[in-house]
Amino acid sequence: MVPATTRAVNRGLIIGGCVVYFLAVGMFERFTARPVITDLLTLGWTVLAGLWAVAGVWAARTVLPPASSAPDGDEAGGRTARAVTHAALAGLLAGAVPALFLLLADAINLRPMLINAGATMVNALAVDDSAVAGALRLVLAALVIATVAGIVASAPAQVRRVAGWALGMVVLLALVEPLLRVIIASLGLRTSWLYQRGGLGVSGAVIALVLGVAVGVLRRRDTPTTARDDGDDGPRARLARGGRIAGLVAGAVLLLVLPRLVGPFLSEVVGTIGLFAIMGIGLNIVVGSAGLLHLGYVAFFAIGAYVTALLTSPAAALGTELSFWAALPIVVLVTAIAGLFVGAPVLRLRGDYLAIVTLAFGEIARILALSDWLRPALGGAQGILAVPAPTIGAMRFRDPQMLYYVIIVACAITAFIAWRLEDSRVGRAWTAMREDEQVAQIMGISISRYKLLAFALGAGIASVSGALFAVKIGSVFPHSFDILVSITALSVVILGGIGSLRGVFLGALVLVGLPDLLREFGEYRMLLYGGLLVAIMILRPQGLLPNVRRMAELGEEERLQDQWLKRAGDAGDPEPAIATTKTDGAS
Amino acid sequence: MSLLEIRGLTKSFGGLTAIDDLDLDVAEGEIVSVIGPNGAGKTTLFNLITGVYPADGGAITFDGVELVGRDPDAITRFGISRTFQNVRLFPDMTVLENVMVGRHCRTKSGVIGAVLGLPSARREQAEVREQAKEILSFFGTRLSGYRHNQPAFVLSYANRRRLEIARAMATGARLLLLDEPVAGMNPRETAEMVELVGRLRDEKGFTLLVIEHDMRVVKGVSDRVVALDYGRKIAEGTYSEVAGNDRVIEAYLGKKATA
Repeated sequence: MVPATTRAVNRGLIIGGCVVYFLAVGMFERFTARPVITDLLTLGWTVLAGLWAVAGVWAARTVLPPASSAPDGDEAGGRTARAVTHAALAGLLAGAVPALFLLLADAINLRPMLINAGATMVNALAVDDSAVAGALRLVLAALVIATVAGIVASAPAQVRRVAGWALGMVVLLALVEPLLRVIIASLGLRTSWLYQRGGLGVSGAVIALVLGVAVGVLRRRDTPTTARDDGDDGPRARLARGGRIAGLVAGAVLLLVLPRLVGPFLSEVVGTIGLFAIMGIGLNIVVGSAGLLHLGYVAFFAIGAYVTALLTSPAAALGTELSFWAALPIVVLVTAIAGLFVGAPVLRLRGDYLAIVTLAFGEIARILALSDWLRPALGGAQGILAVPAPTIGAMRFRDPQMLYYVIIVACAITAFIAWRLEDSRVGRAWTAMREDEQVAQIMGISISRYKLLAFALGAGIASVSGALFAVKIGSVFPHSFDILVSITALSVVILGGIGSLRGVFLGALVLVGLPDLLREFGEYRMLLYGGLLVAIMILRPQGLLPNVRRMAELGEEERLQDQWLKRAGDAGDPEPAIATTKTDGAS
Repeated sequence: MSLLEIRGLTKSFGGLTAIDDLDLDVAEGEIVSVIGPNGAGKTTLFNLITGVYPADGGAITFDGVELVGRDPDAITRFGISRTFQNVRLFPDMTVLENVMVGRHCRTKSGVIGAVLGLPSARREQAEVREQAKEILSFFGTRLSGYRHNQPAFVLSYANRRRLEIARAMATGARLLLLDEPVAGMNPRETAEMVELVGRLRDEKGFTLLVIEHDMRVVKGVSDRVVALDYGRKIAEGTYSEVAGNDRVIEAYLGKKATA
């Protein structure tokens, strides 16, 4: 194995490289425009500090034992000292690399190669001081932050958790500022105690810190009770169930009043999150349950939107002008049939090959919509305008605060369908097919039938999302349906955890909601997706919220085994007795 | 009439003839072992019967139905099921779910039934669960109790083999094809498996075709033994007849040195 010191040096250099990258793509400059704590700390510097802290923790881990084992006495002391030294070393390097970059950018013009490495970056990084002073400051800051992070990393788990939550809470509250500020204001309260000019005020930062510490302390106490609440009929279980129901009711009420709380702009964001959640649910059936990697999912979304526009818009060539509700079943049916047409030719393809072909289908859909051939029907690049809003009596669901409710209901229905299918004959057939297609077929499952079913159902669900998209925008253009939609939908599924229904909602929230809340991320959305997905694949390959049932099974296995053995022992029918009789019988 | 009748079955992969003009009969309630050195075509025979490979020529008739040219899932519905030489379970599904998948071809409920929670679908789901539990109880305590809800991948090797048999039983088959059921098992587990194969016929009424290398197992379970070499049948009869057959010894050990 490579010596610990070498690995600490490597880790410091890697983080140093990350910092330079962060600077060179211009994110630092953009992010310094956004305060975290007003007048004290900007988002740019927060990210830098975060990276240096990661360097410290990561380097300290080269000598720290695994989390569970508790070291004793002298040995622990020596190890902590080494951990902190390593952290400091890594921090020094993680600061020195960007410091050199700063000096380089100051000395020679890097802009022909790195357009962002200009004077603005130098000034931002050196805080309007000379480059040399700035570089020194960088090294010093990195050294201090990484050392502190190393000390925290060597501390007991409790301290680490509290520190993590406290700092995390400050950043989180600062990031959701646009959201929280509107909510607090709409409740008729003042916001200045928490937020000042786009970031946390000093008092706000203190509040966030205290809140984070509180959460960090409380969470630890919480864990053992929640882990066992699925037992039988103990009073504690009943209490937990009551708590869960109360939580659900509170959640439902919150969902009902949400658009009033957050105002029109954020309602629009929430609506978009909902649309991607619906697509995620549909794609989860295709990719998660049935295991068919589909990269052209946008095609179904587009068909849903276009068919809705064709059937309902007075501007459409079809001229039927149906109401949204009358059109919706037709939309779903048409798209499901389209799903069959896409599915049929790819029945024999698996994995990568399937991915490539479906990717092409997605592009074909967009190009067809743009084509001259279909221009009379679909309007080419001009699209179809004047898609009417759904109405119920006098209620018009056009503005985001109203349409929100339609989207929520659609989310609920599609999620219900997916949830019901999970533990059914159909769901099992899909899972078996995903695990081993050939064996599934030999066990009597008609592969072509269930593949087509997955495609049709996934297409139908995506079409609902497309239909809602059409009425949300009020018009349909080919440009809305590029490959990015497919990629985002797939990322939503992967980030949340493939096959996990709750994960879809979290994935949509993070991938669709976050970039809208953090407009600074706008340009770097793809970078964010890529980085996030790589990180997820390395750190949590099962996604943020893995398929619940399976995780619970793995965790509970030991406990169940103990219970069962005890019961078997009580019944006087232990396993070994059977085993021995069998041996006797055969020999 | 035999339950399974194979006539003139032929299959080649490129220049290699894996099964060459093979005739084989298995009567209802019989346990027939197929033996032969590696590469003799035993597993290919199973793959042809279950429709994994299309046959080049010949006929496979099961209970009067011609099987050649049908899809594997259709063949399973007619009543043939199998296990695999290299155990192939659905590893992330639970023990119970693995067996429930086996019931798939004997049940009907679809998307609408499941989503709306129709009484017929609920009843079917409950029935399948009970049937799966009952099938697992055939293996004593090995696959019962807390094991029902364990994912298949945590099972021991021997238990995986047992679960594969349970899954095959669940398809409602009349003919079970077991591909090396004791491969990798220790002597005690092997002895148990020998007994189990006998019980599969005596208690559950299955007809069995078994590929096996372990000669003690072959001796213990078989009514009849068929020896293959280079895709051809070289001997057939009781265990002692086949074990003493010169061509079988030759196939396994090579020709005797002539003085």
